Amino acid sequence: MTADDRDAFAAAYVLGLLDPRDMQEAERLLAEDPAYAAHVADWRERLSELDRTAPSLPLPQGLWTRIEAGLDAPATAQPAAGIRTETVRAEAAWPERKAQPEPALSRLWRSLGFWRGIGLAASAAAVLLSVALSVAAVQLGRKPAMIAVLLTDSREPAAVVHTFRDGRAELVPLAPIDVPAGRALEIWTLWDRARGPVSIGLIDEARTVRLNLDELPRTDEGQLFEITLEPSTGSPTGRPTGPILMKGTASAPL
Amino acid sequence: MTVSSEDSALDEDELGRALQRCAGGDRAALRKIYEGEAGRMLGVAQRMLRRPALAEEAVHDTFLQVWRHAASFDPARGSARGWLFAILRHRALNILRGEVRTDLVDDFEPMGLLSEEDKPDAMIMRLSENGRLRRCLEKLDPARRDAIVLAYGNGLSHGELAGRIGVPLGTVKSWIRRSLSVLKECMG
Repeated sequence: MTADDRDAFAAAYVLGLLDPRDMQEAERLLAEDPAYAAHVADWRERLSELDRTAPSLPLPQGLWTRIEAGLDAPATAQPAAGIRTETVRAEAAWPERKAQPEPALSRLWRSLGFWRGIGLAASAAAVLLSVALSVAAVQLGRKPAMIAVLLTDSREPAAVVHTFRDGRAELVPLAPIDVPAGRALEIWTLWDRARGPVSIGLIDEARTVRLNLDELPRTDEGQLFEITLEPSTGSPTGRPTGPILMKGTASAPL
Repeated sequence: MTVSSEDSALDEDELGRALQRCAGGDRAALRKIYEGEAGRMLGVAQRMLRRPALAEEAVHDTFLQVWRHAASFDPARGSARGWLFAILRHRALNILRGEVRTDLVDDFEPMGLLSEEDKPDAMIMRLSENGRLRRCLEKLDPARRDAIVLAYGNGLSHGELAGRIGVPLGTVKSWIRRSLSVLKECMG
Protein backbone atom coordinates (compact mmCIF):
# COMPACT_ATOMS: atom_id res chain seq x y z
CA MET A 1 0.00 0.00 0.00
CA THR A 2 1.38 3.43 -0.89
CA ALA A 3 1.08 6.23 1.65
CA ASP A 4 -1.81 7.69 -0.38
CA ASP A 5 -3.62 4.35 -0.48
CA ARG A 6 -3.15 3.96 3.23
CA ASP A 7 -4.59 7.41 3.85
CA ALA A 8 -7.54 6.73 1.53
CA PHE A 9 -8.14 3.43 3.32
CA ALA A 10 -8.12 5.24 6.67
CA ALA A 11 -10.57 7.83 5.34
CA ALA A 12 -12.93 5.15 4.00
CA TYR A 13 -12.75 3.42 7.37
CA VAL A 14 -13.68 6.61 9.23
CA LEU A 15 -16.49 7.30 6.77
CA GLY A 16 -17.83 3.79 7.41
CA LEU A 17 -17.50 2.75 3.78
CA LEU A 18 -15.45 -0.44 4.11
CA ASP A 19 -17.01 -3.82 3.53
CA PRO A 20 -16.73 -6.33 6.39
CA ARG A 21 -13.56 -7.96 5.09
CA ASP A 22 -11.74 -4.63 4.58
CA MET A 23 -13.07 -3.49 7.92
CA GLN A 24 -11.26 -6.35 9.62
CA GLU A 25 -8.09 -5.47 7.78
CA ALA A 26 -8.54 -1.81 8.78
CA GLU A 27 -8.85 -2.77 12.41
CA ARG A 28 -5.87 -5.06 12.30
CA LEU A 29 -3.84 -2.15 10.89
CA LEU A 30 -5.26 0.20 13.49
CA ALA A 31 -3.97 -2.09 16.23
CA GLU A 32 -0.59 -2.82 14.67
CA ASP A 33 0.44 0.10 12.51
CA PRO A 34 0.93 3.45 14.28
CA ALA A 35 1.27 5.35 10.98
CA TYR A 36 -2.09 4.03 9.83
CA ALA A 37 -3.61 4.77 13.24
CA ALA A 38 -2.39 8.35 12.88
CA HIS A 39 -4.17 8.68 9.52
CA VAL A 40 -7.36 7.38 11.15
CA ALA A 41 -7.03 9.85 14.02
CA ASP A 42 -6.51 12.73 11.55
CA TRP A 43 -9.63 11.78 9.60
CA ARG A 44 -11.69 11.44 12.77
CA GLU A 45 -10.69 14.93 13.79
CA ARG A 46 -11.37 16.36 10.34
CA LEU A 47 -14.88 14.93 10.14
CA SER A 48 -15.87 15.05 13.80
CA GLU A 49 -17.45 18.44 13.35
CA LEU A 50 -20.26 16.68 11.47
CA ASP A 51 -21.17 14.79 14.65
CA ARG A 52 -21.91 18.12 16.25
CA THR A 53 -24.57 18.83 13.61
CA ALA A 54 -26.72 16.00 14.98
CA PRO A 55 -29.52 17.17 17.23
CA SER A 56 -29.14 16.48 20.92
CA LEU A 57 -32.09 14.19 21.65
CA PRO A 58 -33.99 13.76 24.90
CA LEU A 59 -32.65 10.78 26.83
CA PRO A 60 -35.09 7.90 27.12
CA GLN A 61 -36.22 7.07 30.62
CA GLY A 62 -34.42 4.08 32.02
CA LEU A 63 -31.44 4.24 29.67
CA TRP A 64 -29.00 5.21 32.40
CA THR A 65 -30.42 2.52 34.69
CA ARG A 66 -29.83 -0.07 31.98
CA ILE A 67 -26.29 1.16 31.41
CA GLU A 68 -25.56 1.12 35.12
CA ALA A 69 -26.93 -2.40 35.41
CA GLY A 70 -24.52 -3.48 32.65
CA LEU A 71 -21.44 -2.05 34.35
CA ASP A 72 -21.10 -4.98 36.73
CA ALA A 73 -21.57 -7.66 34.13
CA PRO A 74 -18.33 -9.34 33.08
CA ALA A 75 -17.13 -8.16 29.69
CA THR A 76 -17.70 -11.58 28.18
CA ALA A 77 -21.40 -11.43 28.94
CA GLN A 78 -21.70 -8.49 26.59
CA PRO A 79 -21.76 -9.70 23.01
CA ALA A 80 -18.59 -8.55 21.26
CA ALA A 81 -17.49 -6.03 23.84
CA GLY A 82 -14.10 -4.95 22.49
CA ILE A 83 -14.20 -2.36 19.77
CA ARG A 84 -11.85 -4.37 17.66
CA THR A 85 -13.39 -7.76 18.10
CA GLU A 86 -16.82 -6.77 16.93
CA THR A 87 -16.24 -7.32 13.26
CA VAL A 88 -15.96 -11.01 14.01
CA ARG A 89 -19.72 -10.99 14.16
CA ALA A 90 -19.96 -9.96 10.57
CA GLU A 91 -18.24 -13.22 9.73
CA ALA A 92 -21.08 -15.06 11.39
CA ALA A 93 -23.21 -14.00 8.47
CA TRP A 94 -21.20 -16.49 6.41
CA PRO A 95 -21.80 -19.82 8.05
CA GLU A 96 -19.78 -22.64 6.64
CA ARG A 97 -21.89 -25.06 4.76
CA LYS A 98 -21.24 -28.64 5.60
CA ALA A 99 -22.16 -31.35 3.14
CA GLN A 100 -25.73 -32.32 3.90
CA PRO A 101 -27.37 -35.63 3.21
CA GLU A 102 -29.49 -35.14 0.13
CA PRO A 103 -32.94 -34.18 1.43
CA ALA A 104 -36.06 -34.36 -0.65
CA LEU A 105 -35.78 -31.42 -3.01
CA SER A 106 -37.92 -28.59 -1.86
CA ARG A 107 -41.27 -28.30 -3.51
CA LEU A 108 -40.49 -24.95 -5.07
CA TRP A 109 -37.12 -25.99 -6.37
CA ARG A 110 -38.68 -28.95 -8.14
CA SER A 111 -41.53 -26.98 -9.60
CA LEU A 112 -40.35 -26.60 -13.17
CA GLY A 113 -43.19 -24.27 -14.00
CA PHE A 114 -41.83 -21.84 -11.47
CA TRP A 115 -38.43 -21.78 -13.12
CA ARG A 116 -39.68 -21.62 -16.65
CA GLY A 117 -40.59 -17.95 -16.71
CA ILE A 118 -37.05 -16.70 -16.18
CA GLY A 119 -35.44 -16.91 -19.60
CA LEU A 120 -33.68 -14.01 -21.18
CA ALA A 121 -36.75 -11.81 -21.47
CA ALA A 122 -35.71 -9.46 -18.70
CA SER A 123 -37.54 -6.16 -18.69
CA ALA A 124 -35.99 -3.13 -20.33
CA ALA A 125 -35.43 -1.66 -16.89
CA ALA A 126 -33.43 -4.68 -15.85
CA VAL A 127 -31.23 -4.44 -18.90
CA LEU A 128 -30.60 -0.75 -18.35
CA LEU A 129 -29.75 -1.35 -14.72
CA SER A 130 -27.39 -4.18 -15.44
CA VAL A 131 -25.65 -2.02 -18.02
CA ALA A 132 -25.31 0.85 -15.56
CA LEU A 133 -23.92 -1.45 -12.89
CA SER A 134 -21.49 -3.21 -15.16
CA VAL A 135 -20.24 0.16 -16.33
CA ALA A 136 -19.62 0.92 -12.67
CA ALA A 137 -17.61 -2.23 -12.27
CA VAL A 138 -15.63 -1.55 -15.45
CA GLN A 139 -14.66 1.84 -14.11
CA LEU A 140 -13.20 0.06 -11.13
CA GLY A 141 -11.09 -1.97 -13.50
CA ARG A 142 -13.09 -5.03 -12.63
CA LYS A 143 -15.31 -6.01 -15.47
CA PRO A 144 -17.64 -8.79 -14.33
CA ALA A 145 -17.21 -12.08 -16.14
CA MET A 146 -20.90 -12.81 -15.64
CA ILE A 147 -23.93 -10.76 -14.66
CA ALA A 148 -27.25 -12.10 -13.43
CA VAL A 149 -30.22 -9.77 -12.97
CA LEU A 150 -32.54 -11.24 -10.34
CA LEU A 151 -36.23 -10.62 -10.96
CA THR A 152 -39.13 -10.87 -8.54
CA ASP A 153 -42.30 -12.78 -9.22
CA SER A 154 -43.73 -9.67 -10.86
CA ARG A 155 -40.65 -9.40 -13.09
CA GLU A 156 -39.22 -6.40 -11.31
CA PRO A 157 -35.42 -6.34 -11.20
CA ALA A 158 -34.52 -6.60 -7.50
CA ALA A 159 -30.79 -7.40 -7.41
CA VAL A 160 -27.77 -8.02 -9.60
CA VAL A 161 -25.10 -10.68 -9.16
CA HIS A 162 -21.64 -9.94 -10.56
CA THR A 163 -19.04 -12.66 -10.80
CA PHE A 164 -15.44 -11.79 -11.58
CA ARG A 165 -12.63 -13.69 -13.22
CA ASP A 166 -10.65 -13.82 -10.01
CA GLY A 167 -13.44 -15.90 -8.48
CA ARG A 168 -14.95 -13.10 -6.47
CA ALA A 169 -18.65 -12.37 -6.70
CA GLU A 170 -21.04 -9.84 -5.25
CA LEU A 171 -24.75 -9.30 -4.84
CA VAL A 172 -25.97 -5.73 -5.37
CA PRO A 173 -29.60 -5.20 -4.32
CA LEU A 174 -31.67 -2.76 -6.34
CA ALA A 175 -34.70 -2.53 -4.09
CA PRO A 176 -35.40 -2.84 -0.37
CA ILE A 177 -36.78 -6.18 0.78
CA ASP A 178 -39.01 -6.65 3.80
CA VAL A 179 -37.48 -9.33 5.98
CA PRO A 180 -39.82 -10.58 8.74
CA ALA A 181 -38.53 -10.97 12.28
CA GLY A 182 -36.31 -14.00 12.76
CA ARG A 183 -35.78 -14.52 9.07
CA ALA A 184 -32.92 -13.85 6.69
CA LEU A 185 -32.25 -13.75 2.98
CA GLU A 186 -30.27 -16.71 1.70
CA ILE A 187 -28.58 -16.54 -1.68
CA TRP A 188 -28.25 -19.72 -3.73
CA THR A 189 -26.86 -20.80 -7.01
CA LEU A 190 -27.54 -23.87 -9.09
CA TRP A 191 -24.38 -24.83 -10.93
CA ASP A 192 -25.21 -28.48 -11.34
CA ARG A 193 -28.73 -29.87 -11.16
CA ALA A 194 -27.43 -33.18 -9.89
CA ARG A 195 -25.73 -31.48 -6.96
CA GLY A 196 -28.64 -29.14 -6.36
CA PRO A 197 -28.63 -25.54 -5.13
CA VAL A 198 -25.64 -24.36 -3.08
CA SER A 199 -25.86 -21.61 -0.48
CA ILE A 200 -23.49 -18.74 -1.27
CA GLY A 201 -24.58 -16.10 1.22
CA LEU A 202 -26.90 -15.13 4.04
CA ILE A 203 -27.92 -11.55 4.79
CA ASP A 204 -30.39 -9.94 7.14
CA GLU A 205 -31.52 -7.24 4.75
CA ALA A 206 -31.01 -6.07 1.20
CA ARG A 207 -27.43 -4.85 1.08
CA THR A 208 -24.38 -5.36 -1.11
CA VAL A 209 -22.44 -8.44 -0.09
CA ARG A 210 -19.55 -10.54 -1.26
CA LEU A 211 -20.78 -13.98 -2.31
CA ASN A 212 -18.93 -17.16 -1.49
CA LEU A 213 -18.33 -19.04 -4.73
CA ASP A 214 -15.05 -20.50 -3.51
CA GLU A 215 -16.20 -24.08 -3.65
CA LEU A 216 -17.80 -23.82 -7.05
CA PRO A 217 -16.41 -23.98 -10.56
CA ARG A 218 -16.44 -20.82 -12.65
CA THR A 219 -19.91 -19.40 -13.20
CA ASP A 220 -21.47 -20.60 -16.44
CA GLU A 221 -23.74 -18.93 -18.96
CA GLY A 222 -27.30 -19.57 -17.81
CA GLN A 223 -26.32 -20.47 -14.23
CA LEU A 224 -29.22 -19.81 -11.89
CA PHE A 225 -29.03 -17.49 -8.87
CA GLU A 226 -31.87 -16.98 -6.46
CA ILE A 227 -32.73 -15.59 -3.03
CA THR A 228 -35.08 -17.34 -0.61
CA LEU A 229 -36.48 -16.34 2.75
CA GLU A 230 -35.01 -18.60 5.43
CA PRO A 231 -34.63 -18.76 9.22
CA SER A 232 -32.16 -16.16 10.49
CA THR A 233 -29.36 -18.74 10.75
CA GLY A 234 -29.93 -20.03 7.24
CA SER A 235 -31.83 -22.95 5.86
CA PRO A 236 -31.78 -25.86 8.34
CA THR A 237 -31.56 -28.42 5.55
CA GLY A 238 -28.85 -26.85 3.40
CA ARG A 239 -31.43 -26.50 0.64
CA PRO A 240 -33.90 -23.68 -0.01
CA THR A 241 -36.94 -24.18 2.21
CA GLY A 242 -38.66 -20.80 2.13
CA PRO A 243 -40.38 -18.83 -0.62
CA ILE A 244 -38.24 -17.65 -3.52
CA LEU A 245 -38.08 -13.86 -3.54
CA MET A 246 -36.15 -13.38 -6.78
CA LYS A 247 -34.13 -15.31 -9.31
CA GLY A 248 -32.23 -14.88 -12.53
CA THR A 249 -29.65 -16.48 -14.76
CA ALA A 250 -26.11 -15.38 -15.57
CA SER A 251 -25.06 -13.93 -18.91
CA ALA A 252 -21.67 -12.72 -20.08
CA PRO A 253 -21.52 -8.96 -20.73
CA LEU A 254 -20.46 -7.89 -24.21
CA MET B 1 -37.45 12.32 30.61
CA THR B 2 -34.34 14.42 30.98
CA VAL B 3 -33.24 16.70 28.24
CA SER B 4 -29.58 16.97 27.53
CA SER B 5 -29.05 20.60 26.68
CA GLU B 6 -26.20 22.25 24.86
CA ASP B 7 -25.08 23.77 28.13
CA SER B 8 -24.38 20.45 29.76
CA ALA B 9 -21.95 19.35 27.03
CA LEU B 10 -18.49 18.80 28.47
CA ASP B 11 -15.46 20.57 27.11
CA GLU B 12 -12.50 18.57 25.92
CA ASP B 13 -10.59 18.83 29.21
CA GLU B 14 -13.60 17.88 31.34
CA LEU B 15 -14.27 14.92 29.10
CA GLY B 16 -10.65 13.74 29.21
CA ARG B 17 -10.60 14.00 33.00
CA ALA B 18 -13.90 12.15 33.26
CA LEU B 19 -12.48 9.33 31.13
CA GLN B 20 -9.46 9.10 33.42
CA ARG B 21 -11.76 8.81 36.40
CA CYS B 22 -13.80 6.13 34.60
CA ALA B 23 -10.59 4.16 34.13
CA GLY B 24 -10.21 4.33 37.90
CA GLY B 25 -13.69 2.92 38.40
CA ASP B 26 -15.55 6.14 39.21
CA ARG B 27 -19.18 5.71 38.17
CA ALA B 28 -20.02 9.32 38.84
CA ALA B 29 -17.60 10.24 36.07
CA LEU B 30 -19.39 7.97 33.61
CA ARG B 31 -22.67 9.51 34.69
CA LYS B 32 -21.22 12.94 34.04
CA ILE B 33 -20.25 11.93 30.50
CA TYR B 34 -23.73 10.49 30.05
CA GLU B 35 -25.40 13.68 31.15
CA GLY B 36 -23.16 15.82 29.01
CA GLU B 37 -22.91 13.78 25.85
CA ALA B 38 -25.57 11.07 25.61
CA GLY B 39 -28.18 13.35 24.02
CA ARG B 40 -25.86 14.27 21.18
CA MET B 41 -24.70 10.66 20.91
CA LEU B 42 -28.30 9.54 20.57
CA GLY B 43 -28.77 12.13 17.81
CA VAL B 44 -25.71 10.87 15.91
CA ALA B 45 -26.81 7.24 16.30
CA GLN B 46 -30.38 7.92 15.25
CA ARG B 47 -29.28 9.80 12.16
CA MET B 48 -27.47 6.63 11.11
CA LEU B 49 -29.83 3.96 12.38
CA ARG B 50 -33.13 5.83 11.97
CA ARG B 51 -34.90 3.69 14.56
CA PRO B 52 -34.93 5.13 18.08
CA ALA B 53 -34.66 1.68 19.69
CA LEU B 54 -31.53 0.86 17.71
CA ALA B 55 -30.00 4.27 18.43
CA GLU B 56 -30.62 3.70 22.11
CA GLU B 57 -28.97 0.29 21.87
CA ALA B 58 -25.91 1.88 20.24
CA VAL B 59 -25.60 4.49 22.99
CA HIS B 60 -26.14 1.88 25.70
CA ASP B 61 -23.43 -0.38 24.29
CA THR B 62 -21.09 2.57 23.80
CA PHE B 63 -21.26 3.54 27.45
CA LEU B 64 -20.47 -0.02 28.50
CA GLN B 65 -17.46 -0.01 26.19
CA VAL B 66 -16.34 3.39 27.44
CA TRP B 67 -16.51 2.04 30.97
CA ARG B 68 -14.48 -1.05 30.14
CA HIS B 69 -11.93 0.56 27.86
CA ALA B 70 -11.56 4.02 29.39
CA ALA B 71 -7.97 3.18 30.32
CA SER B 72 -7.13 2.74 26.64
CA PHE B 73 -7.97 6.36 25.85
CA ASP B 74 -4.69 8.09 25.04
CA PRO B 75 -4.89 11.88 24.72
CA ALA B 76 -1.67 11.80 22.69
CA ARG B 77 -3.50 9.97 19.91
CA GLY B 78 -6.60 12.09 19.58
CA SER B 79 -9.25 14.04 21.43
CA ALA B 80 -11.49 12.56 24.10
CA ARG B 81 -14.59 13.53 22.17
CA GLY B 82 -13.17 11.94 19.03
CA TRP B 83 -12.53 8.73 20.97
CA LEU B 84 -16.03 8.70 22.44
CA PHE B 85 -17.76 9.28 19.13
CA ALA B 86 -15.52 6.84 17.29
CA ILE B 87 -16.74 4.08 19.62
CA LEU B 88 -20.32 5.20 19.08
CA ARG B 89 -20.00 5.37 15.30
CA HIS B 90 -18.29 2.00 15.22
CA ARG B 91 -21.08 0.45 17.24
CA ALA B 92 -23.77 2.10 15.11
CA LEU B 93 -22.12 0.96 11.87
CA ASN B 94 -21.92 -2.57 13.20
CA ILE B 95 -25.60 -2.52 13.99
CA LEU B 96 -26.30 -0.99 10.59
CA ARG B 97 -24.15 -3.32 8.48
CA GLY B 98 -22.73 -6.32 10.19
CA GLU B 99 -25.26 -7.78 12.48
CA VAL B 100 -28.23 -9.96 11.90
CA ARG B 101 -31.18 -8.05 13.25
CA THR B 102 -34.32 -9.91 14.06
CA ASP B 103 -36.59 -6.98 14.67
CA LEU B 104 -36.33 -5.29 11.32
CA VAL B 105 -39.86 -5.27 10.15
CA ASP B 106 -42.18 -3.84 12.77
CA ASP B 107 -41.43 -0.20 12.03
CA PHE B 108 -38.79 -0.57 9.39
CA GLU B 109 -38.40 2.53 7.32
CA PRO B 110 -37.30 2.19 3.73
CA MET B 111 -33.84 3.57 2.97
CA GLY B 112 -35.24 6.43 0.93
CA LEU B 113 -36.65 8.33 3.86
CA LEU B 114 -34.58 10.95 5.60
CA SER B 115 -36.12 13.61 7.75
CA GLU B 116 -35.59 17.18 6.58
CA GLU B 117 -33.01 17.90 9.21
CA ASP B 118 -30.99 14.81 8.28
CA LYS B 119 -30.60 15.94 4.67
CA PRO B 120 -27.01 16.74 3.72
CA ASP B 121 -27.68 20.42 3.06
CA ALA B 122 -29.17 20.85 6.50
CA MET B 123 -26.17 19.14 8.06
CA ILE B 124 -23.78 21.46 6.25
CA MET B 125 -25.82 24.52 7.20
CA ARG B 126 -25.38 23.54 10.84
CA LEU B 127 -21.62 23.41 10.54
CA SER B 128 -19.92 26.47 11.90
CA GLU B 129 -19.74 29.00 9.09
CA ASN B 130 -16.11 29.77 9.66
CA GLY B 131 -15.10 26.22 10.39
CA ARG B 132 -12.54 24.56 8.17
CA LEU B 133 -14.77 21.59 7.40
CA ARG B 134 -17.59 23.71 6.04
CA ARG B 135 -15.26 25.95 4.08
CA CYS B 136 -13.61 22.92 2.53
CA LEU B 137 -16.82 20.99 1.90
CA GLU B 138 -18.13 24.01 0.06
CA LYS B 139 -15.27 23.73 -2.40
CA LEU B 140 -16.74 20.43 -3.58
CA ASP B 141 -19.35 20.01 -6.26
CA PRO B 142 -22.75 19.66 -4.45
CA ALA B 143 -23.39 16.02 -5.38
CA ARG B 144 -19.91 15.00 -4.22
CA ARG B 145 -20.32 16.97 -1.02
CA ASP B 146 -23.63 15.18 -0.41
CA ALA B 147 -21.96 11.81 -0.91
CA ILE B 148 -19.41 12.53 1.83
CA VAL B 149 -21.99 13.91 4.24
CA LEU B 150 -24.50 11.09 3.62
CA ALA B 151 -21.80 8.47 4.14
CA TYR B 152 -20.53 9.97 7.39
CA GLY B 153 -23.75 11.41 8.79
CA ASN B 154 -26.29 8.83 7.70
CA GLY B 155 -24.07 5.78 7.42
CA LEU B 156 -24.90 5.14 3.77
CA SER B 157 -22.83 2.49 2.00
CA HIS B 158 -21.32 2.97 -1.46
CA GLY B 159 -24.26 1.10 -2.97
CA GLU B 160 -26.81 3.15 -1.09
CA LEU B 161 -25.05 6.36 -2.10
CA ALA B 162 -25.11 5.29 -5.74
CA GLY B 163 -28.83 4.59 -5.47
CA ARG B 164 -29.59 7.81 -3.64
CA ILE B 165 -27.58 10.11 -5.87
CA GLY B 166 -28.45 8.18 -9.01
CA VAL B 167 -24.97 7.51 -10.36
CA PRO B 168 -23.12 4.22 -10.91
CA LEU B 169 -21.29 2.62 -8.02
CA GLY B 170 -17.87 3.18 -9.56
CA THR B 171 -18.60 6.87 -9.99
CA VAL B 172 -19.54 7.19 -6.32
CA LYS B 173 -16.38 5.41 -5.27
CA SER B 174 -14.14 7.65 -7.35
CA TRP B 175 -16.05 10.78 -6.24
CA ILE B 176 -15.54 9.84 -2.62
CA ARG B 177 -11.88 9.12 -3.05
CA ARG B 178 -11.19 12.34 -4.93
CA SER B 179 -13.37 14.45 -2.62
CA LEU B 180 -11.52 13.12 0.40
CA SER B 181 -8.22 14.05 -1.12
CA VAL B 182 -9.53 17.58 -1.85
CA LEU B 183 -10.74 17.81 1.76
CA LYS B 184 -7.43 16.66 3.09
CA GLU B 185 -5.56 19.15 0.93
CA CYS B 186 -7.90 21.94 2.06
CA MET B 187 -8.01 21.09 5.75
CA GLY B 188 -4.43 20.06 6.16
